[in-house]
Amino acid sequence: MKKRMARLMAMSMAMALAVSAAGCGSSQTSESEESSSGGSGDKVSVVLATNWGEGDAKYDYFYPLFEKFQEENKDTMYITLQTYSTEDYKTKIKTQTASGDLPDVFTYWGGGMMTDMVDAGLLLNVDDYFAESESVKREDFEESSFDYYIAGDGNAYGVPIESTRGVLIANKNLFEQYGLEYPTTYDELVSVAEVFKENGIIPMSIGSNGGVPSEFFFSELYNQYEGGEDEIAALASGGNFDTDNAVKVAEVLTDMIDQGMFPADTMANGGWTNSLQLYTDQKAAMTYTYPWNYEFIPDEIQECTDIIPMPQMPGATVDPSTIMAGFTVYGFMINKASFEDEAKHDAVMKICDFLASDELTQSLTESGMIPCKNVEMNMDNQKLIMQKTMDYAQDKNLVQVHYTTMPSADAITMMDSSLDELFIKAITPEEFVQKVQDVLDK
Amino acid sequence: MKKKKHMAVVIAFLLPVFVIYTAFLFIPLVQTAFYSLTEWNGITEKIYVGFDNYKELFGSSDYWLVFWNTIQLVVITLLIQIPAGLILAYLLYMKTKGMKIFRTIYFLPVVIAPVAISLMFSLFYNSEIGVFNRILEMIGLGAFQTNWLSNTDTLLYAVMAPQVWQYIGLYVTIFLGALQSVPSELVESAQIDGAGQVKTFFHVILPQIAGFSNICIILCITGSLKAFEHSWIMTGGGPGVRSSYLGVYMYKTAFVNSDFGTGSAITMTIVALSLVITLIVNAVFSAREKD
Repeated sequence: MKKRMARLMAMSMAMALAVSAAGCGSSQTSESEESSSGGSGDKVSVVLATNWGEGDAKYDYFYPLFEKFQEENKDTMYITLQTYSTEDYKTKIKTQTASGDLPDVFTYWGGGMMTDMVDAGLLLNVDDYFAESESVKREDFEESSFDYYIAGDGNAYGVPIESTRGVLIANKNLFEQYGLEYPTTYDELVSVAEVFKENGIIPMSIGSNGGVPSEFFFSELYNQYEGGEDEIAALASGGNFDTDNAVKVAEVLTDMIDQGMFPADTMANGGWTNSLQLYTDQKAAMTYTYPWNYEFIPDEIQECTDIIPMPQMPGATVDPSTIMAGFTVYGFMINKASFEDEAKHDAVMKICDFLASDELTQSLTESGMIPCKNVEMNMDNQKLIMQKTMDYAQDKNLVQVHYTTMPSADAITMMDSSLDELFIKAITPEEFVQKVQDVLDK
Repeated sequence: MKKKKHMAVVIAFLLPVFVIYTAFLFIPLVQTAFYSLTEWNGITEKIYVGFDNYKELFGSSDYWLVFWNTIQLVVITLLIQIPAGLILAYLLYMKTKGMKIFRTIYFLPVVIAPVAISLMFSLFYNSEIGVFNRILEMIGLGAFQTNWLSNTDTLLYAVMAPQVWQYIGLYVTIFLGALQSVPSELVESAQIDGAGQVKTFFHVILPQIAGFSNICIILCITGSLKAFEHSWIMTGGGPGVRSSYLGVYMYKTAFVNSDFGTGSAITMTIVALSLVITLIVNAVFSAREKD
């Protein structure tokens, strides 16, 4: 009897295990069936993915409007919102793409990062969306902001959302405290740096961890050299990184490192947050940053911050006070299959109209975003430092950065990781340039 | 009839395991082996390239640097975690007062997320705002101050340190359980026969817990071979690949650079390395058992 009971229990446990394993599979299948068929009844299921997760500067300005949109459309669609922090988000989209589970509408980057998706025919030519949309037209956007999303076939595959400007910011109080003027040349920068170092202040809080912010600083300096702007633009089609200018800029960076202008520990003080932290703690006199970090600059630091031109580097011919790095950061893309799916089409259109709406765009500007769409920015609602940035940017010629024109993702990765090595002086300027070129040649 | 029933029970028990292992281990492994022979960006069609990915990998200095980093991690964790775990466990075993509290304290880092530990150590190491250099200065070791994560001589070891430290508690707990299972009569009789503490430990206790040591060694090796979080969070495996392990290198290749073919080839080399190490460890264990 006991034996039979034990056997029975064993059998039922084994069955329970088998059933539970099978159960997992069936629930996943039914979910995917629902999404592929567009849901049951009148309600359609759509997936919207963004990198504006909790903790992101844009979350507070996006989410209330998203909730409102969801409420307004609750009878017609069920929206799954997927949000992750930026780096995790990039991985998530790549994984979803590989598994054939791309969201219906999603924010994403252009240039080398979208090439594979375009080649595979996964993305919608955004002109198809504009042709159907009643509320959003291509002309509503700064035309040059589409450049980042234009593929080899000449079509644009993303609707640009955020544009940006690279800024060198300086702490006015620290300069005044030590009786210094803002440097306009490299020699002046070296002199200023000497004084700050003597007083325990880091002259420029620029580290390099994963190429941040060093990669953007590199591009900013690159644009000062003759032909630099054209070389960066031509990178997308020519794939040539191994230029005299690249070596020159890398040599200047090496010299700046030797002069002690950056934090000694460039890895630990790399990344946007850490580089900015030294500046906001007033341990550094200057830093190079972008408006998406403005949310993290306290009011009192914004008040004593000036946007200043980059000092002119040795041998540079372009006046840095006339240029500014400015480019499309990212926008949203439309899953072509979802757009062509009759069941999902209207819902996808509505979500796209929402993402490109004036209301959302204006709300996002309050997080420190410069919009690609031509909307009126209410400057009174902007942070002080954003107002200073927009004033400074008015008469500047916008120049591109390598990040947006590099033709492949692995070349960007190599540039980033090699810059990290250059900053800790593990490689020479020539080796740095060669490593990136080798990836491009592959 | 009885045999048939017995067979049914055996199958009922084995089937779920067989299905789960086949679905989540063997099939993915075979698929990965196939992907490693292709050029595939995860999106477009896979192109069969034979062993080109392996040739490229084995010809890459970065790969060998990462491979060597991983071997170093295996050796260093084996040399530090196991002896440290054993010594601490033995001290707790000898001095039983407050043993449970100490056991919990030692085990605490094991249950903290590696991401949190890594972020904490990144701040410690920071030469501008971190405490590590300050502590060195305070205790008179100022000469050893350095930029831990930006110095090529210390970078890899600075990234290894939190991982090595974090999991010592796991081995303390395993060894403590093992020591408590050693019959006290054995220890007492050894001591009656005149064996001192050291002799008792090496000749009576250690042989008794040999099975547990083997488990700890295997856990230590497998933990090192799949190391990822600490390196990824602290340095992203960089600068370059200087603080990458094979797991980080595979992730970067496959998921950051979208080169799933080469990423799969790296995975296959991790599997091969694991098999080789397992064979060596098993051979050592069986030789020890024969002795």
